[in-house]
Amino acid sequence: MERLPRGRHGLSAEFVARNQRERLISGLTEALYEVGYHETTVSLIGRRAAVSKSDFYKHFESKDDCFVAAYETAIERIRERVLAACEGAEGKSWAERVPEAVGGLLDLFDEEPALASIALVEGLRAGRGVYDRYQAALESFVALLGQGSPRPAVGGEMAEATDEAVIGGITSLLSRRILAGEGERLSDLFTEIVEFTFSAYLGGEEARRIVSAG
Amino acid sequence: MSSTRPELPREFVASHKRRRMMDAIAELTAENGYEATKIADIVRRAAVARKTLYDNFDGKEDLFLSAIDASVSELRLAVEEGCRGGDGSSEARIVGGLEALLEFVAERPAAARMCMVEAISATPSSARLYDAAMRDFVDLFRESAPDGADLPETIEESLVGGVAWILQSQIRRGDAEQAPDLLPELSQFVLSPYLGVGRVVDGGGSRD
Repeated sequence: MERLPRGRHGLSAEFVARNQRERLISGLTEALYEVGYHETTVSLIGRRAAVSKSDFYKHFESKDDCFVAAYETAIERIRERVLAACEGAEGKSWAERVPEAVGGLLDLFDEEPALASIALVEGLRAGRGVYDRYQAALESFVALLGQGSPRPAVGGEMAEATDEAVIGGITSLLSRRILAGEGERLSDLFTEIVEFTFSAYLGGEEARRIVSAG
Repeated sequence: MSSTRPELPREFVASHKRRRMMDAIAELTAENGYEATKIADIVRRAAVARKTLYDNFDGKEDLFLSAIDASVSELRLAVEEGCRGGDGSSEARIVGGLEALLEFVAERPAAARMCMVEAISATPSSARLYDAAMRDFVDLFRESAPDGADLPETIEESLVGGVAWILQSQIRRGDAEQAPDLLPELSQFVLSPYLGVGRVVDGGGSRD
């Protein structure tokens, strides 16, 4: 340990910087959840993150800039969690993978309601700045859901919109719950979301049969 | 000047101007977004005096909220009308309502964009108007849908949210005019939970 005092200090500065940035991102995410975008000031973010205002500006140009970074972090963490759940269920059927993925997503949201809120509510409210990222994330979920799904046909043709409409329906339901102040226990919606998903592809009766068979 | 046109009552002229200003803000926000839309652009597009705008509205946000409110009411009336068409079955009600919604999007793309896309992100009040409109449409859907007693309690919210998302994507891509092409797929999507997959299109009927 005594051998590399300089190197160790160099490493430490980098570590401190990265750690500060992460703390600022979670400081913003939590402040946003508690007091909303307008009231979330740079000083408040700094206070929550235990980072000085001048250090804040070493990492981000503005609150908006920090918001975009926090938004991207949230989306990436959600994607990772859902992908991990899907990978854990590899080799299983579509009907077995859906509950795994939905469960993984809702568990993450229960652990971190502030993350659910920035991803599903604040992102859309923020408008054009982050909308493309929201859309891209949803599209990757649309593709995941589509893999190996039963294909409902419309007049002999595939109903292409189903995957997209199901993802849109799930995110809309979750965001409405968060807006209603019921974002703390989104996992209560697990069965409803799984059954909704099945019913879009298989009809309500079949969906009920699968869900009640467990 | 209006005194030289006694055949046009003052009230008519006034409401026509209000309408022009609301149309103008819908078009301008659809083109450039809410933030970038200035009072000067609105009065120029609507061909009214700046004073007229402030006589009628408190400012840009008040005009925007009034315009959203008016368009959502029109959309709601059109959808209710659509739900009454057909043979009165719940399938016909839902498909009729959906068809009216898609036609509104195609015929009034700027208004649709204002209510379904810009409203969400423009201001906190406009976001609340959007949320309230969603709740209304969920209720309307629930009233018209087939019996869903065995389905999840949240099924209507999920289905209406899914339709909204598809339309929002379509509008953002600039393809609002093609919205009516989505009728078969969206009819299938919203009715499958109630009626089962594949049974839907026969009842959907209006375009094969």
